[in-house]
Formats: sequence, C-alpha cells, structure tokens
Amino acid sequence: MAKMKNESNLQVTFSKRRSGLFKKASELNTLCGADIAVIVFSPGGKVYSFGHPNVEIVLNRFKNINQPFPNPNNNMRLSEVRSHTPIQQMNDFLTQLMNDLEKAKKKNEEIKKKRKNSKRSENWWEDPVEELDLAHAQEFKVELENLKKVVTDEASKFFQGFPHPNFCVGSSSGAPFRDGGYINPNLDQSEQRRMFNVNAYYNPNMYRPNYQLLYGNNSYAGGCVPDQYNLNFMLAFNQYQNQNQNLNPGFKEEGISENERHQDGHSPHF
Amino acid sequence: MARNRAKMTFLENNTSRKATFRKRKEGLMKKASELSILCGVAVAVIIEGEYSSVPEVFPREDVGSVIDKWDKLSQADKDKKMVNHEKYLKQRIEKAKEKLNKVNKENREMEMKELMFDCLRNKTAPCFLGPNELRDLGVFIDQYIKILSRRIETLTNNQGSSSTSVVPAAAGTTSVAMPTAAMGSSSTGFNNMIEENMNEIPNVKDFDLNRCSEE
Repeated sequence: MAKMKNESNLQVTFSKRRSGLFKKASELNTLCGADIAVIVFSPGGKVYSFGHPNVEIVLNRFKNINQPFPNPNNNMRLSEVRSHTPIQQMNDFLTQLMNDLEKAKKKNEEIKKKRKNSKRSENWWEDPVEELDLAHAQEFKVELENLKKVVTDEASKFFQGFPHPNFCVGSSSGAPFRDGGYINPNLDQSEQRRMFNVNAYYNPNMYRPNYQLLYGNNSYAGGCVPDQYNLNFMLAFNQYQNQNQNLNPGFKEEGISENERHQDGHSPHF
Repeated sequence: MARNRAKMTFLENNTSRKATFRKRKEGLMKKASELSILCGVAVAVIIEGEYSSVPEVFPREDVGSVIDKWDKLSQADKDKKMVNHEKYLKQRIEKAKEKLNKVNKENREMEMKELMFDCLRNKTAPCFLGPNELRDLGVFIDQYIKILSRRIETLTNNQGSSSTSVVPAAAGTTSVAMPTAAMGSSSTGFNNMIEENMNEIPNVKDFDLNRCSEE
C-alpha cells in the first residue's frame, strides 16, 4: 500500500475514507461506550476532527496521562443510562432514516424498471415533449389544462370541509388530517388555493414539523424551526414515530395502493 | 461480518461488548492507517476503552507528532471542522433526510406522471383520487404544462415570425382529439422520464432532479 498517484482520485478517496473513519469512531462509541478522538489532516492542510465527548477533552486526558493524579477508572462513565440520551435517540432516528432511504431507493428502482419493461405506448402524447410537433403540443396543452380544471374542482371538495364519506372520523376534534400534507379544512378560500398550488409533493416520509420542508414552500401550519436538538428534537422524533403508525387512518381511498386503484376496473365517467 | 447488522445501540452484554470493542478498535486503527498511507496525510486516533487504564493510540509510536501538529493550529482552524458526537450525527441526519426527500420526490413525480397518463387513458379519473393525490397531480400537471409551453414557444420561434403554425402535423393527426384515438405516432422512442426534458431547460426551478450523483 502506498500513497495514491492520481490527484483527483486521492481527493475522492480521502473524502470517503475520512467519512468512513468518523463513522467507525461514532459506532465504536455507541456500541462500546469508549471515549475517542480522531484527528485527520487533509491533503490540502485542513483539519477534520471527531471526538466523544469531544476532541479537546480526550486529548487533554491523553496529554495528562503521566501526571501524578490520572483520571479515575473509565468504568464510571459506563454506568450512564444510555438508552435515552440524545445520542442514542439520534442514532435510532438515523437508523430509521436509512431504512426508509433504502426502501425509497428500492421503490425507485422498481418504478423505473416497470416503465422500461412496459410496452411502448401508441399514444403520441406519451412521447417525450421534445418529440412533439407544434400541433400536438398545443393540443396536449389544452387537454392538460382541462384535466387540471377537473382536478382542481375535485380537490376543492376536500378543502372546503365538505362532508365527505371518506373523511377521517377521528378528526372530529378538528385536527388536521393526519397526513404529511397538513390539509386543513378550515382554511379560507384564498388560502386553499394557495396551498393547492404549493410546489410540494405529499411525502409520507416528510419529517415534520420541526424540520424544513425541502421543497421550498413552508406554507404548512408547522412552519419550520431552526435545527436545534434537545426538546424540539425529541418531540419531533416522537411525532415522527406516531405519524408512521397513524398514517392515513381514515381515508378509504388513500388506504388503497395507487396501483390497485387504477387497475381496479372502476368505470370512469371522464 | 454478516452477523452484525445489529442495532446501533450500547451493548449491554459484557461479553459481546468486549469482543466487539476488540474487533472494532482493531478495524478502526487499520482504517486510520490506510487513510494515512493512501492519502499521505497525518492521522491520529485516541481510544479510551474500559478494559485498559492506558488509552490505545494510532500511530502507535508516533502519535505525539500529530498532536504537536494539532497544537500548532489556531483555535479557529481546529474548530472549523471539529465535531462532537451529537453534531456529527446531526450532520448525518441532515444528509440522509435530504437524500430521502429527493428520492421520495422523484418517486412521487414518476407516480404522478403515470397517474396523469392514466387519467388521459381513461383508466381512472380525478373523482377517484384522494386529496394528496389531487394536490400532487395538480402540481405535476402544472409543471408539464410549463414544459409544453416552452416547447410550443421554441417551435413557434423556430418558424420565424408567424405564430400560427405552419408545421406539418404528423401523419393524419391534425384534428385528433385526445385521448381517445391512438393516432399514428410520429415518435419511435421509449417513454422517457420527464426529468430528461426538464434538465434541458435551465430556467425551470420546479424540477431539481437528478443533478447530483450518488454520494
């Protein structure tokens, strides 16, 4: 093993391996309770460091190791109750995130695969936009605008608090629907329209409400809160857990997977 | 190695913890060494285990020189990329969230595209959809309309002056009503993802898909 020759590969390798090293250090502490410090100088001369409890403390202990009164036995630290510390909670949260990420990636692969395998459609409007001629593009646009009107009309039924058989009975308390989208039937008209045009997708994995919504428009009731830990974090984490269990408790339609619904043989009255 | 996809939580069992500590400590030191050699950089590791009153270090003999190098730094330089455990986990959480949101967004858009087409194919209709789908579908349709508008604009501009189209339609399709007829399609390509179209249009802020590669 020797120093890498290719400069850019070296940079990439450094970045990845440094990241991996910190990860291992983090895990060593989490699993075994060992205090640790890692210092890494970059090829460019910058310094990265990781430490638990922090770099300075571990370094100082190490430097003082030969002093007359060395630190008491490390075992004392191990008697901390670890399961409820912020670190443990963060680890749990991270684990869950990574699981969700893995699932989402799988789903992503599946969707792409399914598309690739499905036979080529004869509908010209399914072709890429770049391949449409002017007449088609114009016609398609008109059709979509019509479709959009229908969609908006249908959506307005939900937004007005219109008594709808599929509404969640449990929301008689007036709480917003239990989905990631915070659709609030009590909003007034202009608010509803604004929300409807919000450029944000329903995201079952959107962590709320103490984290910034990624898609830009923080128009939901929860708003966004700067990234702080302690209480806010724990609250959010608990809410996340609850949310995952209670996802879409009442919407009959939402309970059916999209695939089932579409291929269901409902006769459309389009 | 395959056995240990266990929960990332403190190992209560003394035996497991001791064994895990030994193996992982060794692995960590090895990784530190590899990083140091491959990239030609100074690395130091200090581990205080419960099984020894003396910390274990890397480099075994010469950790002092790395520490000296560290000591010579300004506090600002030290702090810039220093993290404690909490901050570190926080950073990882943020990255994971971003990634997850990005993938979910892409998934959702693909679903909405299919849903939009299904509506046009008469396989379903808005009246059968729930509020979330309606909202997201609406968003997607808007985006698609924008792309179409740009396409129309490009085509009209390319013809020079007149806005009324002189472009010959594809064979026999001038008065085709969507979505009923499957007229002779002028295209030969597979269904491409809308993202491919989006990426060609630099102004569209709505889509920000697939810009970054995997980490």
